[in-house]
Amino acid sequence: MRGIVRCFGAVRANDGIDLQVAAGRIVGLLGENGSGKSTLMKVLFGMVPPDEGTIIFNGRELSGHRPAEAMQAGLAMIHQHFMLIEAMSVVENVMLGWPAAGRWLKRARVGQQIREASARFGLDLDPDARVADLPLGRRQRIEILKAILRGADLLILDEPTSNLAPAEVAGLLAILRRLREEGRGIVFITHKLPEVLEVCDEVVVLRAGRVAGRAPVAGVSRAALAEMMVGRDTTTPHVPDARPPGAPRLVVRDLRGPGLDGIDFAVHGGEILGVAGVDGNGQLELADTLAGLRGATGTIALEGTDVSRASVAERMRAGLAYLPADRARTSLVRSMSIADNFFLRDTDAFLLHPAARAAHAAALMATYDVRAPGPQAVVARLSGGNAQKIVVARELDRAPGVVIAHQAAWGLDPGATRFVLDRIVDLRNRGAAVLYISSELEEVMAISDRVAVLFGGRFAGVVPRATADLGRIGLWMAGQA
Amino acid sequence: MSLPSRIALAVALSLVCAALLIALSGHDPFSAFAAMAEGALGSPHQVGVALNKTTPYLLAGGGVALCFRAGVINIGAEGQIALGGCGTAATALAWPIEAPLPAILLALAGGALVGAAWAALAAAIHLGRQVHEVLVTLLLNFVALLLVQQALAGPLGEFGAGFLQSPRMPAAVWLPRAIPGLDAHPGFFVAVVVAAGLSFLLWRTRFGFAIRVAGASRPAAAYAGFSVARLTWGVMLLSGALAGLAGGIEVLGVQRRLIEGFSLGFGFKAVTVALLGALEPLAVVPAALFVGMLEAGALSMQRQVGVPSSLVAVIEGLTMLFVLAATVRRRAA
Repeated sequence: MRGIVRCFGAVRANDGIDLQVAAGRIVGLLGENGSGKSTLMKVLFGMVPPDEGTIIFNGRELSGHRPAEAMQAGLAMIHQHFMLIEAMSVVENVMLGWPAAGRWLKRARVGQQIREASARFGLDLDPDARVADLPLGRRQRIEILKAILRGADLLILDEPTSNLAPAEVAGLLAILRRLREEGRGIVFITHKLPEVLEVCDEVVVLRAGRVAGRAPVAGVSRAALAEMMVGRDTTTPHVPDARPPGAPRLVVRDLRGPGLDGIDFAVHGGEILGVAGVDGNGQLELADTLAGLRGATGTIALEGTDVSRASVAERMRAGLAYLPADRARTSLVRSMSIADNFFLRDTDAFLLHPAARAAHAAALMATYDVRAPGPQAVVARLSGGNAQKIVVARELDRAPGVVIAHQAAWGLDPGATRFVLDRIVDLRNRGAAVLYISSELEEVMAISDRVAVLFGGRFAGVVPRATADLGRIGLWMAGQA
Repeated sequence: MSLPSRIALAVALSLVCAALLIALSGHDPFSAFAAMAEGALGSPHQVGVALNKTTPYLLAGGGVALCFRAGVINIGAEGQIALGGCGTAATALAWPIEAPLPAILLALAGGALVGAAWAALAAAIHLGRQVHEVLVTLLLNFVALLLVQQALAGPLGEFGAGFLQSPRMPAAVWLPRAIPGLDAHPGFFVAVVVAAGLSFLLWRTRFGFAIRVAGASRPAAAYAGFSVARLTWGVMLLSGALAGLAGGIEVLGVQRRLIEGFSLGFGFKAVTVALLGALEPLAVVPAALFVGMLEAGALSMQRQVGVPSSLVAVIEGLTMLFVLAATVRRRAA
């Protein structure tokens, strides 16, 4: 790809990018949210046409192509969200939309091909298994298998590890190495630096639509990569030393309901209580129940007042802020403007004042570094990091006394993650009580004063960070203590 | 292409298709359209008829648009209009007042109240028993029409009339002519003011904001602290009252008595008009005018050119299809 330029309105999403992938090489494509990675790959795959620049693939120029033609030429894209039909079997999904499978369904023959390819690349896939019964890691392998069987020479993987468990990630990296041995080229888009260092041959870093750096992976350090990405050093946020916590601001007693099996805890002013644990052990239920979105038995006291029966709006007025994990449908309305989303939880005025709102929204955008053409821009057009900054600005700018954050930095690049965590730590330093729920143990360990582990709808244990022992936390997370 | 120009194109395309159909049936499309325009706009009397036809579509259509915006698919205007007319007639006959203005206001309030009550029944079944709102509102239409029939066969009916109708309304409640020389009652102008009010409600108040959020994402509405149940009650009661008002105005302004089937199809046309106006209360005004004028011109087209007036139903259907095709949301690339 040479000199690719693609503009959306006044924003130059790609501003003269060169990218070269040789056969048998894995190229890591790094960059913050909104740096132009996705756009570049969409241009390559023919989903959006470039404004300028040329694409040469296997010695042939690709221009004005559509995804179907890109696939035929030997390109394959594996999206973050899989394009599989869950009610169908593996073999049926592989045949779907594959002209070479023929007009008549030959399950046995394609199944045999799947078994052979599966053995060759260590995919361990049963052609007759139903997709709905497979874990996410296996489903991703189906997508990879589809690409292999269709003879793809270049695979593009868009944040392939973001939904996988650690063991599945190791499996995926092994598969990528085998593909490299076969001489296929791979573009690996990710935020996670350790994976880049582990599997990539070279790395290209994008920043603000331009190539900020490219280097062979051998001999580059993690800190250097992170700095290339954001143009500054991103170490973990600095939590000041533990200090005597203030009065309890959020006290929960014997919370029980679907997914919750008797939770007791208190969060004090000036304290971050981190909740680690594998997702699906009651995290969503706990966060939603505290915010008032689901019912449960037990008591929730906010600033000493029982709010167990209070509505969402009443809890908000009592000083509770909530950053939900689901940004696609809950914490943001994607089809509405940034200004409207800033006011989603503004319960006061009966009349709306569009001009005052736009001005206030513009101020918030500046303070919280939301990069967009203006307050009237639709949220669906923003990158994940910018969208989450809207939620952070809305929830934290009104100086809440208690913050519930659930997967607040999920899917964000190091720069945006750092930004979000810093805002939360700021608030804690000013005396707020924070419940920080995340399945990223590293994050929880970095910013918490105390660490709790949620397993099976109850706290398996709570320890101060200073005395936290990773081995013991691991056992708690696995439910073995 | 912007949304308004896409809708204009859709309307133009549907007229082209209609012209082809007329030509296929062996008539001249241009003279047919000319006769239709003549019938809708040719004289003050005709303009008045067109405005009167527009009124119920506009009133009920605005309410339907609000419901759809909130993600509440209310197909119940048909029954609410019929019962609203019945409520207005019953009020006017039961409490005759000499002075026109109080008499009219009381009768219309009765109609709006009955319309809202019928919508409330639908909302209660939908929210209380978790039955899908399309099913509830649609099926209650048939019950409503039978109730009106029952009322006309019993207490409201005119003795010895030969078919189901009420006695003539007392003269005090007849709607006056709005503008001297123009054969229209004031209903159209009331409806335009209502549409402006609904637009303000939707875009400039917190309630309208809540409606838009709930329509875009139910989880987001709950997170924002809006009660979806309360919102549903709000939009259902409002649209029911507007539909009831539409029925009442039709009875007092056009028929001057309650006749069985006086509002046949009005409620479904209101849905058409709401979608034609892209669920934007102010844009429902031209959409309702378009349908109202088509129907006002239909008879004159039949008389003068011999094209059956039912062709208008075909044009309405085609317009609907084209507009839906033009306004369908593209999937984000």
